[in-house]
Amino acid sequence: MTWTCENIEARLSDYLDGLLSPDERHEFDLHANSCEDCAQMVASISQMVSGLHSMLQIETPPRLVYSILNQTLGPREAKKGWRGAFGWLSGLASPRFAYSAVSVAATLLILLTASGFSWRKPKLADLSPATVYRNANSKAHLAYAHTTKFVSDLRVVYEIQSRLNKDNELPTTPESTVPQSAPGKTPGSTDGTRPATPRQQNRANGLGKELEILATEVPVVSGQMCGRLLGRRTP
Amino acid sequence: MAPCSFWGKLVTVAGFEADDTLEQDAQLVQQCLQGDGSAWEELVRRHTRRIFNICYRFTGNGTEAEDLSQEVFLRVYKTIGSYRSAYGGFATWMTSVTRNLLIDHYRRTKRDRITDSLEDSMPVVENKESAGRRPDQQLLLGELSSQVQTALTKLSPELREAVILRDLQQLEYNEIRKVLDVPEGTVKSRINRGRIELARILQQMGVRPS
Repeated sequence: MTWTCENIEARLSDYLDGLLSPDERHEFDLHANSCEDCAQMVASISQMVSGLHSMLQIETPPRLVYSILNQTLGPREAKKGWRGAFGWLSGLASPRFAYSAVSVAATLLILLTASGFSWRKPKLADLSPATVYRNANSKAHLAYAHTTKFVSDLRVVYEIQSRLNKDNELPTTPESTVPQSAPGKTPGSTDGTRPATPRQQNRANGLGKELEILATEVPVVSGQMCGRLLGRRTP
Repeated sequence: MAPCSFWGKLVTVAGFEADDTLEQDAQLVQQCLQGDGSAWEELVRRHTRRIFNICYRFTGNGTEAEDLSQEVFLRVYKTIGSYRSAYGGFATWMTSVTRNLLIDHYRRTKRDRITDSLEDSMPVVENKESAGRRPDQQLLLGELSSQVQTALTKLSPELREAVILRDLQQLEYNEIRKVLDVPEGTVKSRINRGRIELARILQQMGVRPS
């Protein structure tokens, strides 16, 4: 049987939906390929069906579900009994809430510790604003004093170190610094117990005096350090 | 000419009568019949979008579609006891209820209907599936959707419902037969005529879907 344009139109959806038998499909193709009008119609409707298929779903209005539930189940009633009383607790189990709660707790912990609250012997009086202010003020001043002292100590230590480094750069042993000369050729002592030159002797004496002054000026740490350094240099 | 065997597969995948869906729906219906409100709530959430889309495609008006969707669920809620699984899936039964209500609505408002312009319709939002498309594609699809919607409302209700169920809701022929309660030959004929008529209307409107 040879298909006509009427056959093509009548079986178009079967063709598009894959419901034709192989023989019918062959006949369909045979006619559609030879008839320009049918070919155009098939192409046009095939494209339209594809277009319909790719059409987007419409988003449901958000209130629609609630309207339906209200109309069918009735307005939402509040839960009664202990479930109603403690129902809000279920919301606390969310990770977001837990994270926020931990952050708040950590902040409070830091603030309370900074304000001088004693965790070993907690007192209610420690939480009064006046006490908190006083303790915080005291802590702040102590922290400032400690910092200042630390910086000062560091400065002293660096000063000492720099001076010692400067001293180490100078030649200290007469053997290595003084050129070997024939004995008895130079006047004065050459037995090695005294510095080779007066200039070096003066420098060493000056450094020792400065360290002593520093040790007396700086009370504890730097004093000990200077003393130790001095002791090492002058056994 | 491109063969359309993929179309049948696509329809099978997109159809709502998957086995797990059927089972879940049947279970929820049973729970509803035992008075479980949460099961009804779940049913509503599962089917609202599909029902709303059918109503919107049929009426072309967002507000009307919303009212009709509520009416559909109200009717389903009242008559859920009459649902029998032998009839088919719950979704098919619900679609059938929707279709009957839409036809009733169409007849009821026939006199009041003056124009089927979409200008007065409630603005609708395209869904998340549009997220992966380029803006120009979205624009084209949105424009096409609007024009197709206009053309759909110009179809007779019999052809319109057939095209909506087949090409927009992607139901199988036997499902459409159950929903429309007509022989399968009639379903095929309506779908075919609906498509040809819709293409003709679109052509008159100067729309060339590609």
